[in-house]
Amino acid sequence: MSDLIRLESLSKSFRGRPAVTELSLSIARGEIFGLLGHNGAGKSTTFGMMLGHVRPDAGEAFVCGYSVERDRADALRRVGAIFETPCFYDYLSGLQNLRFLVSLSGDVSEARLREVVELVGLTGRIDDPVTYYSHGMRQRLALAQALLPEPEFILLDEPTEGLDPAGIHEMRAMIRRLRDERGLTVMLSSHLLSEVEQLCDRVAILDGGKLIFSGEWRQGPTQWRLSLDDWAKAAGSLDRYVAESNGEIVELRQGVDIADLVSELVTAGVRVRGVELLQATLEDFYLGRIRK
Amino acid sequence: MKFFSMSLFARQLGGELRKLFARKRTYIGFGAFFVLECMVLFLLRLPKAKAAIRHMIDGAGYDPSEYFSGLTLGLMIMMWTVFLLGALYLALVCGDVVSKEVEDGTMRMMLCRPISRGRILLVKAVACAVYSGALTLFIAGTALIAGLLYGGFGGLFVFSPTEHIFALYDFWPGFARYLMAIPLLGMSLFTVSAIAFFFSCTKMKPAAATIITLSVLFLDTALKAIPFFASYQNWFLTTKMGVWVHIFEYSIPWEKMVEDYALLTAVNITLLVIGWQIFEQRDFKS
Repeated sequence: MSDLIRLESLSKSFRGRPAVTELSLSIARGEIFGLLGHNGAGKSTTFGMMLGHVRPDAGEAFVCGYSVERDRADALRRVGAIFETPCFYDYLSGLQNLRFLVSLSGDVSEARLREVVELVGLTGRIDDPVTYYSHGMRQRLALAQALLPEPEFILLDEPTEGLDPAGIHEMRAMIRRLRDERGLTVMLSSHLLSEVEQLCDRVAILDGGKLIFSGEWRQGPTQWRLSLDDWAKAAGSLDRYVAESNGEIVELRQGVDIADLVSELVTAGVRVRGVELLQATLEDFYLGRIRK
Repeated sequence: MKFFSMSLFARQLGGELRKLFARKRTYIGFGAFFVLECMVLFLLRLPKAKAAIRHMIDGAGYDPSEYFSGLTLGLMIMMWTVFLLGALYLALVCGDVVSKEVEDGTMRMMLCRPISRGRILLVKAVACAVYSGALTLFIAGTALIAGLLYGGFGGLFVFSPTEHIFALYDFWPGFARYLMAIPLLGMSLFTVSAIAFFFSCTKMKPAAATIITLSVLFLDTALKAIPFFASYQNWFLTTKMGVWVHIFEYSIPWEKMVEDYALLTAVNITLLVIGWQIFEQRDFKS
């Protein structure tokens, strides 16, 4: 897959305090990429530099092949963004807000407007003033404005902030659908690591403005918890199939399927009471990296 | 893609104006002037006030019944109130136009779009000019209507001691001068908008932009009022802004007016360009 986003040695300081230092990373087309970090780690500054809101001191951000600093209009033509607290003109209706924001990008047909409004589920309320919208409705409107220019890339800064569980589920499903059905590339930041875990295979972790990890976070070997009635009888089979073990927890040798091990154990007369896949959580991974 | 599409600009300006005129505070200025005009007309019914105006016209050797008219009252309302109140409401609205969007976070939404910062400011500056024009037209129009309702048709009596203007016109020549004064007044008032717009582009709260704009104008007025600076009167910004009144002189000093408006235009353009440059360099972050 080709890279849609490329950040090259981005650095930014505010009043002499470095917010982001030498940040380089790339995001492939069609990927859902997570940007993680504590408060003040530099996530918002990074997003700001990708959208041209923040001028980098050094380095360059490329979106869809265009430099954000030098070719801002071309770079942002196919980009949508949502911020943690969606801000709109409260005294205007949802539709008037969309029309205004769209007028800044160029032309969008009335049919496209209606299609996006329907997609985000705001059809019945789109003519109401935004001041009467709930937080969830504002998030939907934010998503609508981000989708209107038919973006290739969407940047989501805390998209589930303040949403109820149903809203979070809906947003997650929407993000997945946008990637799967429309091929959108998504970059998101969230403090809800369980959300990022369900959506992203690749993440970047920032700490104090520095990139401390970028890549697939599920890269370690898979672990399994076995429940056997006779561990002594199982020793021979385990030796052949298991690379490492720690009590009931085992890591299989490369190329070995868990079904092979279970079959071998049963053939050896060992009763297998249970097999549980132990998945590393993103939270463990993230905290592990931050503490290093 | 075309470098500058007029239809797109018109749509963006339309959106900006819709936003501007959808806000209640935009109408405070219109409401305040309407109330003020009603109050002036009410107070002019008081015998001593009425007598004072009649005495002024009479003292100049003219017939008060002919010149105590709608045109005269309209011009009086405009001359005496426009800079104090007009400046307040223009500073309030134009001081908000950029900084309020930054404060509310809507500027970040705008900046996510493939539009340059310069273009955003240009649209906003034109919207401020439209607002200044609309407020000027409203003030001049309602002052005249209110004056006509109260004083009826008649000649125009102009008396401005500070500008050394004393003139009397029949209705139609007076009305023509009154109409010519409106765009000039609008240009003068746009300077207030330009100052407020400039401060709005810098990193400050909307209220601060309004207050600082008013402070600049009041400071200028206060300095001008100090007798020792009388020889430098012509260099003060508010003196230049008051040049529109000279349209009521019998012999219009076009040279002076062109010079003063050229200077005001230069000040406005300079403020807009500096404001734009400051805005270009700013970082916008939550």
